[in-house]
Amino acid sequence: MRSFRIAAAVARKDLLSEWRSREMVPALAQFVVLALVIANFGFQIDSKSAPAIAPGVLWLALVFAGLVAFGRAFTAEREQHSLEAVMMTGAPPTAVFMGKALGSAALLVVCEAVLLPALTLFFGTPFSFGLVMAVLLATIGMAALGCVFAAMVAQLRARELLLPLLAIPLWIPFIVAGGQAVQVAMGASGALDQALWLLVDLDILFLVLTSLAARFVLDD
Amino acid sequence: MTRSRYELVAAGAVGLMLLAAAAIFLYAPTDALQGPVQRIFYLHVSSAIAAFACFFVVFLGGAVYLWKDNLAADRLARAAALVGLVFTTVTLVMGMEWAKPIWGVYWTWDARLTSTLVLWIIYAGYLLVRRLASPGRQAARFAAVVGIFGFADVPVVYFSVSWWRTIHPGPIVINDALPPAMLETFLFTMACTLVLAAVMVGIRYRIETLQDAQPMGEVVPSAAVTSPT
Repeated sequence: MRSFRIAAAVARKDLLSEWRSREMVPALAQFVVLALVIANFGFQIDSKSAPAIAPGVLWLALVFAGLVAFGRAFTAEREQHSLEAVMMTGAPPTAVFMGKALGSAALLVVCEAVLLPALTLFFGTPFSFGLVMAVLLATIGMAALGCVFAAMVAQLRARELLLPLLAIPLWIPFIVAGGQAVQVAMGASGALDQALWLLVDLDILFLVLTSLAARFVLDD
Repeated sequence: MTRSRYELVAAGAVGLMLLAAAAIFLYAPTDALQGPVQRIFYLHVSSAIAAFACFFVVFLGGAVYLWKDNLAADRLARAAALVGLVFTTVTLVMGMEWAKPIWGVYWTWDARLTSTLVLWIIYAGYLLVRRLASPGRQAARFAAVVGIFGFADVPVVYFSVSWWRTIHPGPIVINDALPPAMLETFLFTMACTLVLAAVMVGIRYRIETLQDAQPMGEVVPSAAVTSPT
């Protein structure tokens, strides 16, 4: 119970500081809209090709927005050395880690709230419950994994360089299952619930693994 | 072990690989359907197995390091990661050469190919973490986490892609579809490749031990030593 309170407090702190500075969310929202603009010029998009192209554009934009969001999650902590202070309170590292992951997942969800309607607006693809579920379920696991490596690279040189190399290979299962779910939600044939359940399984697996690993990437 | 003994063991491993090459080209029969190109199979599968064995050592070394804080386990993981990456490269390149005449393309996004490629990327990242982290405990701890996650991720990638689609042939060795001469050649090549991998890990372990023993803790890049000041 105490762990949940700590995680909520850490997430609340991160979101409050974001609310006061309002740096990340506008930048991320602009970033995903720009990704759609690039896709528009890079692909030949019409009403027939849009459902085939849009899922790929969505995941590319989401993966890179996620890298930016998680990459920044520990930047302020590192600059102010505040993570050491948090760890000295004796709070369990897993709880602190889950709070950080929750905070950055919330930022990514806000960014998705821009990305998904913009995709529908610009590409004319259907907006459905399955689409939202697939993206939200993938966000959980991607945030957990992304924060493990973000915490790690925050203590290394060349962190912007290393985070994508470490995080993207581990996100691939989410992109495979999420990609399939989004394709089905946009009209391709396939089993949507199977893909969504696979995402739930992946979330559980990686939440357990990352909470075990949290101790080793936060303690110093 | 003294230096000459390392040289002797290395020469032995190379000799075994030459014997395996002789078995592949002289003893094993030519495949009726695929022709000589099928001979890629022996070393392709053997180096894949050697690579997995190496990455399993990386996983075990990382887990033992995190659990017991044992620096020797970390050195072993470090040595095995590099050797495993070499064998993964061999597997991927030979596989592509085999795929072109048989499947008509160098690459396809099949479960085995995708998970092997992801394996390669993860352990290349592992070696980068080692290089960028401050040497010693931090590098060892972070690398152990990457090694363990990587090892856990590969079966998951394999499963999720095969759930998606797959065309790679199943493990033909297990359901004994191989004629005896081919099976013997394969088992011999696999044994030789595993010996070679073990010898390479052993030599690399020795190098890592010597590097750790340097008082600076970090090896100065050779360019910095040789460049005129």
